[in-house]
Amino acid sequence: MYVELKNISKEFGDFPALKNISFSIEKGKLVGLLGPSGSGKTTILRILAGLEQPDSGDIFINGKRVNDIPASRRGIGFVFQNYALFRYMNVFNNIAFGLEIQKKDKAFIKRRVGELIHLIGLEGFEKRYPHQLSGGQKQRVAFARALATNPDVLLLDEPFAAIDAKVRKELRVWLRETINKLKITSIFVTHDQDEAIEVADEIVIINHGVIEQKGSPVAIYQNPATPFAAQFIGHSILLDRYSELKGFDKFEGFEKAVIRPELVRLLKPGQQTHLDAVESGVVENVFFRGNLMEVHVNVKGMKIVAYHSTEDEPLHPGEPVGVLIYRLYLYNRNEVKLVNNSLLDEQTPLYLQGNHNKEKSWIACR
Amino acid sequence: MSKKEKAGKVILILLGVAFIFVMLVLPLITVLIYALREGWRVFTAAVTDRYTVLALQLTLVATVSAVLFNTVFGLFSSWAITKFRFRGKQILTTLIDIPFAISPVIAGLVFILVFGRIGWANDFLQAHNIKIVFATPGIILATIFVTFPFISKELIPLMQSQGSDEEEAAALAGAGAFTIFRKITLPHIKWALLYGIILCTARAMGEFGAVSVVSGHLRGKTNTLPLHVEILFNEFHLTQAFAVSSILVVLAIIILILKNIVEHKGRKEVDEVVR
Repeated sequence: MYVELKNISKEFGDFPALKNISFSIEKGKLVGLLGPSGSGKTTILRILAGLEQPDSGDIFINGKRVNDIPASRRGIGFVFQNYALFRYMNVFNNIAFGLEIQKKDKAFIKRRVGELIHLIGLEGFEKRYPHQLSGGQKQRVAFARALATNPDVLLLDEPFAAIDAKVRKELRVWLRETINKLKITSIFVTHDQDEAIEVADEIVIINHGVIEQKGSPVAIYQNPATPFAAQFIGHSILLDRYSELKGFDKFEGFEKAVIRPELVRLLKPGQQTHLDAVESGVVENVFFRGNLMEVHVNVKGMKIVAYHSTEDEPLHPGEPVGVLIYRLYLYNRNEVKLVNNSLLDEQTPLYLQGNHNKEKSWIACR
Repeated sequence: MSKKEKAGKVILILLGVAFIFVMLVLPLITVLIYALREGWRVFTAAVTDRYTVLALQLTLVATVSAVLFNTVFGLFSSWAITKFRFRGKQILTTLIDIPFAISPVIAGLVFILVFGRIGWANDFLQAHNIKIVFATPGIILATIFVTFPFISKELIPLMQSQGSDEEEAAALAGAGAFTIFRKITLPHIKWALLYGIILCTARAMGEFGAVSVVSGHLRGKTNTLPLHVEILFNEFHLTQAFAVSSILVVLAIIILILKNIVEHKGRKEVDEVVR
C-alpha cells in the first residue's frame, strides 16, 4: 500500500473530527474522500499533508512513517479549495515557487514551468496575475504549482467547488485524464457524489469522522454497506412503510427503505406487463431534466421518484400510472439489505433508464 | 432625490464642515497665528532655542524607539493571533487593547509604581545602576505602552481575512518561515503595516499624559516637545509655547499627507489584486 492511515484520531477542542480512522491507497490510484461538510474529510487531507497533526495514529507514505516529517518534506502536492495562488506573483512565478525554494537552476526552472504550462494548456498566460484568471484557469495553475516539484502524492481539497457548473464538467474530465497520464497517486475531497463517482477509481465515504465504506464507485453504488452510504450515494428517496408495497415483505429489524429512481419503471395504463407486481399511483409532479423527465408519483401516500424517457408518451400531474419497483435497499441503524421484488420472476431483466454516468456504470457492471 | 432629502443632505454636510472647522481647523490656524504674532524673529528664536531642540530630539528618539518596538511586536502578535490556534487567544487580543481603554496618566503611574523609588523593581535597578523613571528609558516605555495596539489593530483584521492558505501552500513547497513572511505575507500587509506605523508615529509624537508622569520635567533632559509646550505655557511664554506647538502641527500635517498617500495606494492595490 502506498499511502496508509492507521487508527488516526483528531479532536478540535471538544469536537472529535476523526475517530480512529484507517484506510490505505494503492500506488497510482485516484481516490475520492466523499462526505457531507463537517464529516472530517478535509482534516484527513490536511493530516496527510502535514498541515495538521493527528492526536494519535500513524501515517505512512511509501512504507515510511511520516508523522514526524514536516509538510515540506513529505513529497506532497496540495491543491487548495480556493486555490491559494500567490496573488502577488504571476502564473510563472506561482508555478516556479517550489522549484526556486529548492534552488534549482534558472534554465531547469524555465523548462519545467514551460512543461507544466503546456500541460495545463495556459501558454501565453505566464505573465498574468491570479486576479486576471478565470476560476477554471486558477484551478489549473494551482494544479500545475502542486505538481511542479514532482510530488509522490497529490492532494486536492474540493477541487471543483468554486467553479461554475459547465466548466466543472470539463475540468473533471481534464483532471481525470491528466492524472491518469501522470500516474500520480491522488486523493481528492468532495461533498459531491456525482463528482466522486465520475472521477475516482475508489471512493471513501466519510461521515461524522468515521469511514462508512470504501470501494469502487460501482461497488458502493450497488452494495451500500451502511445506511448512510445508501442514502448519500445516488438519488435516494426514503420510504418508511415499504412493506405495503407489492412484492416487498416486512423484514424483521428493518424499519425503512431507500429507493432509487432508476429502479422504478412507470407504466401507462394499458401497457402493463407484470400486472401482479405493479402498484398503482398518481402522478404528482413532472420535472423536465433535459435528457429525461423526473416524475414524482404518489403510491399509497408515499412519494416515489422515477425517471421517464422524453421519447415515451408524456405523463401529466393527476394522471394514474402503473409503478413497477424492481428493488429496494432496506436499512436499519447499522445494516443495509438489498431486496428484489418477489413477484417478479428472476428472468425479468432490470429496466434501467436515464443516462447519467453513474447509471451507465451500473448497467455496465451487471 | 426629493427636495426634502436634498435639504437634509445640504444641512448635514454644512453641519459636518462647520463642526470640523470650529473644532479642528480653527485651533490649528490659531496656533500658527499666535506663534507668529510677535514676528518671525521671536518665532525662530523659540523654535531654535536649545531646550526646544533637545525636546525635539527626545521626542524623535522616543517616537522612533516606540514605533520600532511596536512594529516588531505588532507583526509578531498579529501573526500569532491570525495564523495559529491556541488557548487564551481571545484574552491576548483583548489585552492588546488595554492602552486604548486605560487613561495614559494611569499608564505613567504604573511605571512609577514598578520602576520608581517605591516600585518593586527598584532594588534591582539600583543595584545595576539602571535608571528608568525620570530618564529616557521611562519616556520610551511610556510611549510604547500608549501606542502599543496601533499596528496590530491594522494588521489583525487584514490577516484574518486573508487566511493562511497561501502561507500553507508556500510551506508545503518547502519555504521557511522568513521566506514565507517576505514573499507571501509582507506584500499583502505592507500598506496596512505602513498605515499602522504612521498612526503609531503620530500618536507617539503627541503623547503627553503617560510621558508627563514618568518624565519628571527635567528641562533639557526629560522634556519632550509636548511637555516643553506645557512648561512654556505655564510660564506665560504664550508666543513661544505656540511657536513650539507649531513644530508639532507641521509634523502632524506631514504625517496626515503621508497617511493619505498610503491609504490611497493601498486601496488601489487592494482593488486590483483582491478580487
